[in-house]
Amino acid sequence: MIQLHEIYEVIPLVLIAFAACAILVIEAFSKKGSSAVYGFSIITVTGAIAASFLSLNKELIIFNQFLRISNASVMFSVIILAGILITIIASKNYIEKENINFGEYYSLILFSVLGMMLMVFANDLLIIFIGLELMSVCFYVLAGFLRLRQKSNESALKYFLLGAFITGFILYGIALIYGISGTTNLAELYNQKKLFTNYVFIIGFALFLIGFLFKIGVFPFHMWIPDVYDGAPTTLSGMFSTAGKIAAVGTILPIILALNITNFKLIFSVAAVATMMYGNVIALAQSNMKRLLAYSSIASAGYIFVGVAAMNEFALKGIAYYLIAYTFMQLGAFIIVSILEKKDDGSRDYKNVDIDFYKGLGKRNPLMATFMTIFLFSLAGIPPFAGFWGKYYLFYAAIQANLIWLSVIGILLSLIGVYYYLKITVYMWFHESTDLVTAGYEKEPVSRSGIFATSLAVVGTVVLGLDPNMFFRIFKMIAE
Amino acid sequence: MLESYIPIIIIIVIAVIFGIVNVFFSSLFGPKRPNKEKLSTYESGIEPIGTAHERFSVKFYMVAVLFILFDIEVVFLYPWAAAFINLESAKMLYSFISVSVFIVILLIGYIYVIKKGALKWD
Repeated sequence: MIQLHEIYEVIPLVLIAFAACAILVIEAFSKKGSSAVYGFSIITVTGAIAASFLSLNKELIIFNQFLRISNASVMFSVIILAGILITIIASKNYIEKENINFGEYYSLILFSVLGMMLMVFANDLLIIFIGLELMSVCFYVLAGFLRLRQKSNESALKYFLLGAFITGFILYGIALIYGISGTTNLAELYNQKKLFTNYVFIIGFALFLIGFLFKIGVFPFHMWIPDVYDGAPTTLSGMFSTAGKIAAVGTILPIILALNITNFKLIFSVAAVATMMYGNVIALAQSNMKRLLAYSSIASAGYIFVGVAAMNEFALKGIAYYLIAYTFMQLGAFIIVSILEKKDDGSRDYKNVDIDFYKGLGKRNPLMATFMTIFLFSLAGIPPFAGFWGKYYLFYAAIQANLIWLSVIGILLSLIGVYYYLKITVYMWFHESTDLVTAGYEKEPVSRSGIFATSLAVVGTVVLGLDPNMFFRIFKMIAE
Repeated sequence: MLESYIPIIIIIVIAVIFGIVNVFFSSLFGPKRPNKEKLSTYESGIEPIGTAHERFSVKFYMVAVLFILFDIEVVFLYPWAAAFINLESAKMLYSFISVSVFIVILLIGYIYVIKKGALKWD
């Protein structure tokens, strides 16, 4: 039976669940276009971040052994919430611009966060499954939120069909794992010996893993990413590529660690190489900014999997660090694309997302161009910014784990990535604006909420880059 | 371990054979005396108008989806209500609170649906 005091351990989850339901009611009773839910959801997410720190330094298994509170899960949930906070702040202006200013937008985001946090805190395969579905179903709806635009609908349908198919993989994997071990409880599963001598268990675990590789976007299961991110509303593409991926990594990583899998090392290495190669090489040929960032997020999944393949102490630190750096820079880049996007005029495609539009941006809008340059430099891995240290930790971990070939290939492939990030930078600062740039752009000043959201991301990228240990230090400090 | 599955396999085989034999043999040996009335879509009903592959108003789907949602709520309440009376008093309160939470969540959905006018036909 559930004890009442157990509720106190999961205040962030309860807070977000209440807020998501409350927004639906507020939305139903308030006037159309009111911004009450906007402020309400910002306050909720900020409160949830603060409340997350209350459950630090506890190693608890609660709610009939369904949830598990540990420092790692709290850290992942804080990173997710930080990404969501920036997304929500930047969203208001964007959804007004696109004529989709409905309160359901925020409610769906909060429900998906609830799913992500359930996944990260889960101690049971079924809770992971429920969390994953809660997250995915909200994502399918959010991807098609621009419901009058064909591209958005296409993206939602593709995401839904592929995602629903992959859900079957996960569920079948869970069934096979349960069939062999007789439990869905992760803590009990970790205690069982010789699981990996059983072929059925390996098949079950592989199916389970495939589901998560799909959500993270690792090579053979990446094909949905460009289409979905391209078609989804831009702020949400940023959210899918950061918070959604972090939740999947934060769920599968502790499981891989605790099961102490050694025979998957080669598979993870090959997947990492293929993912980095695919993401970086195909991104070279992109002429659409959203697709370019989508391929860059595939490449980033590859870097994360270098760490997963290495799987030692440095790798864990590296993955955690890279994830938070990645949240700031990837989300920041997507938000800038969303800010610069043209107001909805009933067309079937997004306007001003071609990379040609970025020619001469440095003169037209120096602030946004500077911010974009910082994010792109960070994504490329140029030293003063956070992205550099993320890659440094991950490749260093690979060297420590005797995977020198992997880190050499990884560094070479990330060099390819530098080309297309720098190409955009050169476009922004050293090219003249083309005629393509329409007159409607200059009339729209960048909103204050947009500047605030991107500034948050910039501060994160720069400060983390200048003092790479800060994040872990603050975490330790609050824990003590 | 696998031996215990043999009865299931036997049942599956019998089911498949039963299906094939029935359909195949009745079409092979059954008498065929077709006429115009028999070949029409509804032998005893209204004359069909147009095809069934038309576009329906989204209102039908709305009602269907909402019906399923609240139907399932009731389905979940039945086993709880049946088991409730036999519970010891401490668990009674616990189970009552659990079900109340479940109903409140659905109630929020219901308020939302009403206020948004999803159940209005016009």
